[in-house]
Amino acid sequence: MKKNSFFRFFRTREFTVTIILLLLVILFGMTTKNFLNPSNIRNLLLQVSTIGIASIGMTTIIITAGIDVSAGSILGIVAVVAGKTALSGYPIWLIFLLALLVGALLGSLNGFIIGFIGIPPILVTLGTMSFLRAMVYQLLGGKWIGSYPPFPDSFRKVGTGVFYGIPIPVWIMLGLVLIFMYYLRYRPTGRYIYATGNNIEAARVSGISVKKILFFVYILAGMLYGVAGYIMASRTGIVQTNTGAGFELSVIAATVLGGTNILGGEGTVVGSILGALLVAVIKNGMILMNLPALLEGLIVGAIIIGSVIADILKTREGKR
Amino acid sequence: MNRFLDLIAHNRNILMLLLLSLIFLTFTVLVPHFFSMYNVLNMTQYGVEIGLLAFAEALIIISGGGGIDLSVGALLSLTAMIIGVLVGRYGFNIWLAVIVGLGASGLGGALNGFMISFIRIPPLLATLATMYIFDSLALLVSVEPQFGNPMPISKFPDSYFFIGQSTIFGIPFQVLFIFLPIFFILNYYLKSTIYGRFLYAVGINDKAALFSNVPVKKTRFSVYIIGGILVGIAAVIMTSRIASARPDLGLGYNLQAITIAVLGGINIFGGEGDLIGVLISIGIIVVLYNGLQLAGVNAIWQMGTLGIVLIGSAIINYLLSKRKLYVISLKNSK
Repeated sequence: MKKNSFFRFFRTREFTVTIILLLLVILFGMTTKNFLNPSNIRNLLLQVSTIGIASIGMTTIIITAGIDVSAGSILGIVAVVAGKTALSGYPIWLIFLLALLVGALLGSLNGFIIGFIGIPPILVTLGTMSFLRAMVYQLLGGKWIGSYPPFPDSFRKVGTGVFYGIPIPVWIMLGLVLIFMYYLRYRPTGRYIYATGNNIEAARVSGISVKKILFFVYILAGMLYGVAGYIMASRTGIVQTNTGAGFELSVIAATVLGGTNILGGEGTVVGSILGALLVAVIKNGMILMNLPALLEGLIVGAIIIGSVIADILKTREGKR
Repeated sequence: MNRFLDLIAHNRNILMLLLLSLIFLTFTVLVPHFFSMYNVLNMTQYGVEIGLLAFAEALIIISGGGGIDLSVGALLSLTAMIIGVLVGRYGFNIWLAVIVGLGASGLGGALNGFMISFIRIPPLLATLATMYIFDSLALLVSVEPQFGNPMPISKFPDSYFFIGQSTIFGIPFQVLFIFLPIFFILNYYLKSTIYGRFLYAVGINDKAALFSNVPVKKTRFSVYIIGGILVGIAAVIMTSRIASARPDLGLGYNLQAITIAVLGGINIFGGEGDLIGVLISIGIIVVLYNGLQLAGVNAIWQMGTLGIVLIGSAIINYLLSKRKLYVISLKNSK
């Protein structure tokens, strides 16, 4: 039994992605001068942190067989709210709470329509994506904030600060990963989330309140986008109408690369973080190797297709 | 009132027509210059391009199996850029370039269709990946060899512009000779040919269709190719109308096309809906856009209202389908 689970580890997506990551790191480390430079690594991790934190939320949603394309717009709204309150001089703990609250509120809007009314997630979140993006514009009045007057230093500290040599957002991401690893694996609600995604009818019949689980998952994800939005505003020091636009697709790509099954019931938080790392390493390495940035989409697209095909081959083998 | 609700439940298109006239009347009263010949014709020109994308999306969603296409916008950009580069940089004959462009868009659709129906990649993922790929290819194609950056192209011959800019008896050429014929052909295809019936059968239940000897894989495959070609035609009309090709031409059209299809009564789970509903819904969206624009509302709110309309129409769809079931159960109990 012990041996069996030992071998199973080598067949997980997390293992495959880690190996690819290591190979890429070696490749970029040898071919480029600056890739292994501590400041480059720090930058890379910093970029991963927002996508990584949001991908924790996306992972729980996709495990329930859902999808959320409104992530970037929710992040945008939170960034605006955080930025505006920071400019008005609110204390940062209050801003942080507000970011969580706004994220949860917007997530609950998705969750309510999806869980209780029963409209497919792709439709609901496409709708809230464009509606909330218009709200971002409305709140900002077409201007950007943060450059003049600049955000207060206390606000910028969370996004730009370093603790034991590692940026604070990365610490936040690591903490959240640990919490959600435990939560999804060992807490009853975590197991209900997997059960709902595996077979929603079976979950309902076994007494799981499926509607509440769906509602809850979108709220949880909204809060995580809230954290990501706060960090984004605090790190970049600027909030504009297109803050977070297109963010959702990077998050979905990272989650799917990490082995979360788009049909639901399968996936881990660690996998998604590794997926986010993989995309970031590729982007970063390409820039350092002076490859045209235009190729990025081509490579990300090819990796998504490759990883899904690998999944399909694996399940076919398993059925045999 | 109940009879009215039953009527709507049985024929959603009546509700849609009511909604369209209501919006049209509101704008006519509230917005000056809305109801003028020039403006109405202008609206139909815009409706053609977004309408062809919506037809593509509608057919793909009807084919079921989670059918959806996130890559239509990117494919539109790619096709437009291919035509533009062949004409503007390599001096191809414009019609040859158009044929190559349409071939490329068909090929793009075939790539989606192949991955979805033969490799069985979920459509959402397959088209998400191809969206990245087509967008990236559109940028690569547009790179100016001398300077090495992506550049738009606006060197089209004058003989090309009649497609998107001319009118016949006051009606835009593309409405009369491209859009309406395509609508009638597709409608005939869906309603009256065996292939159309296959498509609905596959969309409702692909296992049952397979056991009834319907070629499930080929049907799904072909619908993505048709979708790709429709996108290509939209790209031709658009480049001809605005006389230029940009690598971000199709940005944001995915959402709009999906919204129009769903608003038009296409069931997101497949196997249900018709193109007449989609046609009315194209009217609603175009009138809404144009009216808001003339009323001086910022363009971003066009997307915003679109989001509300999308969710609202999905909820109405859901309530109506409940009502339909209720009415059917009443009839059965009698």
